[in-house]
Amino acid sequence: MAHMANPLATADQLYRRNNLAALPQDLQDAIFYQTQLLTQAAGLLLRIPQSVTAQANVILARYWLVDSPLVHEPSDTSAASLFVTAKLSAHPVPPRDLSNVYAYLLSPGSSLFRRPAPPDDPASYYLSEAAYTAFHNRILVVEARILGALSFDTHVALPHPLAVTYLQALDFMAQPRARITRRVVEYLNTALLSPQMLYVTHQPHALAVAAIYNAAKDTGAKMPECPWWEVFDVDREELGFLVVGMRSLDGWVRKMGEEIEEFGAGSMVRRRGIEAELAKRGIVIAQNGVAGKELDEEEAMMRSLDERAAQMES
Amino acid sequence: MAGKSRWADSEEDAALEAKLKREKEEKKRLKAEKARKAAEEEQRRAAEAATRQQAAAALPPQDQDEDDARRPAKRRKLTPDPDARPQAQGTASVQPSDKPEDDEGTKLLRFECNGFGPAPSVENYDKLNDIEEGAYGWVTRAKDLRNNRVVALKRLKLDDSAQNRVGLPETGLREIQILKDCSHRNVVELHEVVVNDGAATAGSGGAPGRIESIFLVLEFVEHDLKSILEDMPEPFLASEVKTLMLQLASGVAYLHENWVLHRDLKTSNLLLNNRGRLKIADFGMARYVGEPAPPKLTQLVVTLWYRAPELLLGARTYGAAVDMWSVGCIFGELLTREPLLQGRNEVDELTKIFELCGIPTEEVWPGFRRLPNARSLRLPKSSATTGSVIRAKFPLLTAAGSGLLNGLLSLDPDRRPSAKEMLQHEYFAQDPKPKHEDMFPTFPSKAGQERRRRRETPNAPGRGQKAADLGSVDFSGIFAGREKEERGGGFTLRMV
Repeated sequence: MAHMANPLATADQLYRRNNLAALPQDLQDAIFYQTQLLTQAAGLLLRIPQSVTAQANVILARYWLVDSPLVHEPSDTSAASLFVTAKLSAHPVPPRDLSNVYAYLLSPGSSLFRRPAPPDDPASYYLSEAAYTAFHNRILVVEARILGALSFDTHVALPHPLAVTYLQALDFMAQPRARITRRVVEYLNTALLSPQMLYVTHQPHALAVAAIYNAAKDTGAKMPECPWWEVFDVDREELGFLVVGMRSLDGWVRKMGEEIEEFGAGSMVRRRGIEAELAKRGIVIAQNGVAGKELDEEEAMMRSLDERAAQMES
Repeated sequence: MAGKSRWADSEEDAALEAKLKREKEEKKRLKAEKARKAAEEEQRRAAEAATRQQAAAALPPQDQDEDDARRPAKRRKLTPDPDARPQAQGTASVQPSDKPEDDEGTKLLRFECNGFGPAPSVENYDKLNDIEEGAYGWVTRAKDLRNNRVVALKRLKLDDSAQNRVGLPETGLREIQILKDCSHRNVVELHEVVVNDGAATAGSGGAPGRIESIFLVLEFVEHDLKSILEDMPEPFLASEVKTLMLQLASGVAYLHENWVLHRDLKTSNLLLNNRGRLKIADFGMARYVGEPAPPKLTQLVVTLWYRAPELLLGARTYGAAVDMWSVGCIFGELLTREPLLQGRNEVDELTKIFELCGIPTEEVWPGFRRLPNARSLRLPKSSATTGSVIRAKFPLLTAAGSGLLNGLLSLDPDRRPSAKEMLQHEYFAQDPKPKHEDMFPTFPSKAGQERRRRRETPNAPGRGQKAADLGSVDFSGIFAGREKEERGGGFTLRMV
């Protein structure tokens, strides 16, 4: 049994990700980031421990490597992944609570993604019985879909406990314990949102070491002179990649906010919004793409021929 | 100058010849030496390879690194040159910095891991016959069409009714997760999980439909201990009981070591194949626990007849000891072929437990009065009737054997031995020694169809049921008629 290891994405899965939905890379990344952030916000409001919410983030990241993000509304996928991980943990979430929290977060009255925070407007997140039933139905469908896509493997090993153990081994680099530990946990939690999907491409021990490295840099701690990461079975290349990956998220988010108006300032991204953005860019999304069916090559070829023929006619 | 042929050997010739001969010999010697050296080299290399192989065998996870070490070129390409490091440091402060040092030698541990992907379809399996219907699903014997392997398909019950809208059952999901993580000779193996998503019926053009049913593909094991016990004319021999108990203990020890509580150990959940191998199955009640065990665990676990007294008394914090109680019940059942404590309900079960193991007192079980259901218990006061009667009830068991059974059936959970301690128990070292698995008798399969009887044991409690509130129960009368009972002191001769 491996309590400390995770199943990782194959190179093929990472490569095919771009074909799952006919989405440009930047949109895909933005959707990923916002959805993960939404999950985190919901986890906070539902008062479930971060260990559960983080698992939901990882499950969602895995699922989107198998299935297109456009099959279901991204917010539903977020809710379903949170629902299923909470159900299997010691902190189950009643569907009613889940429904209320998502209704609030997606309403114009929520402060998520909005700066400055809008005035509180309870009417905007009132949940009717019909809306609740519809939401509940959708969650159950998406839950089954997620589990089926992952072969019912819900095992997620998180790097947080490992990081604490490593910090103890390093004697907290002679820093105030609370300070450096806090920084490490911050890096680990931020990495959950990264569209580089660090949690499905790297094992927890590597993430833990990279977070400690970053935190030590930030706090100005003196690190051992030797390649200490090798003690924790991480090699230089992997560490370097993760260190940069974890640090780059902040800048990326800022840049994304400027580039994609639909995503940056507004509310949580909806499927409608994505389609509007695509239309603005002149990308026609195929019916199949929306349905999440992967285009095979032949079909793609036929479609391009059709399009060309249509162009010639007009 | 006559007489001296021009062909005659002169001294010169002789010298020349000697020289040639010397040269030849020298060459020969060199050649021999070269050969010897080569042989030596060969030997050395062989020895080296052997040691490397040994090392590799001893440390399988490092195999990958051995391979890496043999391909230094690739490594060097990835790793910045040690000399170039100071420059890199100057430009990018976030780059890991370290002293130029030879890091080729370090061996890093790599995690073996599988990927993730969609569940395959049940279409790959051909149904052979039904085996049984349990509390949590149906079990079918089926054949894997890809490799003709016979497996057991266990279908998870999906309760999709309007009142019970909780999605996929967490018990089933937990069972899948735990079985996926487990790999032990005494734990049933989960090959894969397949689904019936109606994709075949919907046609290839449609999107994958919703999952209609989920099947666990488990290894097929011929029997379960419950039906064997019911059908056998003679109970197991002492040596056979030991083999079974050893295997059970080693499986349970593995689970507990990996933080799994089974919470539904009973004979119908123990499978036995025709090679004498026992396998723990049915993890529908199992879950991961930490140390210390999380509070507020449900007390509604374990089939009534195998349920530990602390659960019956309403404990919400419990641990591995609840499984050990069940192991004790199974031990007794293997000896007599009859479930040991067949209570009709919670109160009756507790009565039966107290009759067999004695009345709990502060001495035998410190702090039991603090358990929710124990506060209002009325127990007989006299100390004469509080002892355990296990020794008397199993007259054929050796002192060590009844010692073990007594330990497993201790009312105080802290006094029960752990599965690991149980493996070391003297009982298993005594004669008769545990019978070798290969020498185990085989049992006829049920009409070749492996159709198992519907269970007569009660089922494990369902989730969401209300825990029985014992209320105030009067146990003071349970030993009233003890003196009048017949003392069964008979003995039998048996070959062991």
